[in-house]
Amino acid sequence: MDSSRISLRPFELSDADDFLTWARDDKVTRYLRWETITSKEEALMHIQQVAIPHPWRRSICLDDRSVGYISVRPESGNDRHRAHIGYAIGSDHWGLGIVTVAMKMAIPSVFEKFPFIVRLEALVEEENVGSQRVLEKVGFVKEGFLRKYGFNKGEIRDMLIYSFLRTDKIA
Amino acid sequence: MAENTTENHKRSSKISLRPIQLSHIDDFMVWATDDRVSQYCIWDTYTSKVQALDFIKNNAMPHPWFRVICVENRAVGSISVSPNSGNDSCRGELGYVLAYEHWGKGVATKVVKMVVSSIFREWPHLERLEAYVDANNKGSQRVLEKAGFIREAVLRKHRIIKGISRDMVVFSILSSDQHLDS
Repeated sequence: MDSSRISLRPFELSDADDFLTWARDDKVTRYLRWETITSKEEALMHIQQVAIPHPWRRSICLDDRSVGYISVRPESGNDRHRAHIGYAIGSDHWGLGIVTVAMKMAIPSVFEKFPFIVRLEALVEEENVGSQRVLEKVGFVKEGFLRKYGFNKGEIRDMLIYSFLRTDKIA
Repeated sequence: MAENTTENHKRSSKISLRPIQLSHIDDFMVWATDDRVSQYCIWDTYTSKVQALDFIKNNAMPHPWFRVICVENRAVGSISVSPNSGNDSCRGELGYVLAYEHWGKGVATKVVKMVVSSIFREWPHLERLEAYVDANNKGSQRVLEKAGFIREAVLRKHRIIKGISRDMVVFSILSSDQHLDS
């Protein structure tokens, strides 16, 4: 994979069709907190109401077409030094190292935009091995296993927790 | 205190958990004004009764689950369980504080066990009780281990305490973990 083909940018309404291609796939949204998108209208609404106003959400683009996203959300109040990072990519593009490249681009950009963030953390389910590999390749530290940590898509789930600090080095 | 021999430790020292009242203010001031007690807590040492009364009235009393720890009818600390909302309501966070004079006698371990044995019954939707402890606070980590919590991770720079980001050890006990004889 030629990494110069990969870029990050904010979402635009014109991404709706490409967004729908990967966001309608249950395999892609399986571990995400949001539901599969089922129509172009929903795609437009999601881009307009969720993706665009988000504190930091970027489309992962391959040749400037949206194939996934990375999202960073700082916590509020006394915990705003901490931010949660999430990501997904269309199943056609799994296993090609695209998310890893995109994350390595995203992290310095996030730390620059939010000078108060000290810690990025990611929660991953045990069976989501692909996502764990991404984090390890980027240089996240696996800190532990949180039992029955959160409820998602009808079940209470165990989560692995990973972090990347401002002082850590990209792998 | 000279009478705190091993025999006295083993004898039931009438430890109880009670709702907090404004009349607890003087006992509250004993631990709340002590730097040794507040060192690993999010809150700063209290410096006035007005401040303390405000906390009791506006935070502690309306709290979803807050109790004072009483030893022989005197309040010597407090313990609370804070629920989460929405998707995270299966999780609650335990916090506790104890006056310095009562450290090292098993009081905290005892009251944590008391809370564990009742909270899952009181809150049937609760699956996980967790606690976050400063990595340097070895005493509190021992309390949780003795009370049956599992140490799951050290979360680097997870919380800001007294203006500095700290590594926090996360412990948990699940409704499915607990033993009936606690």
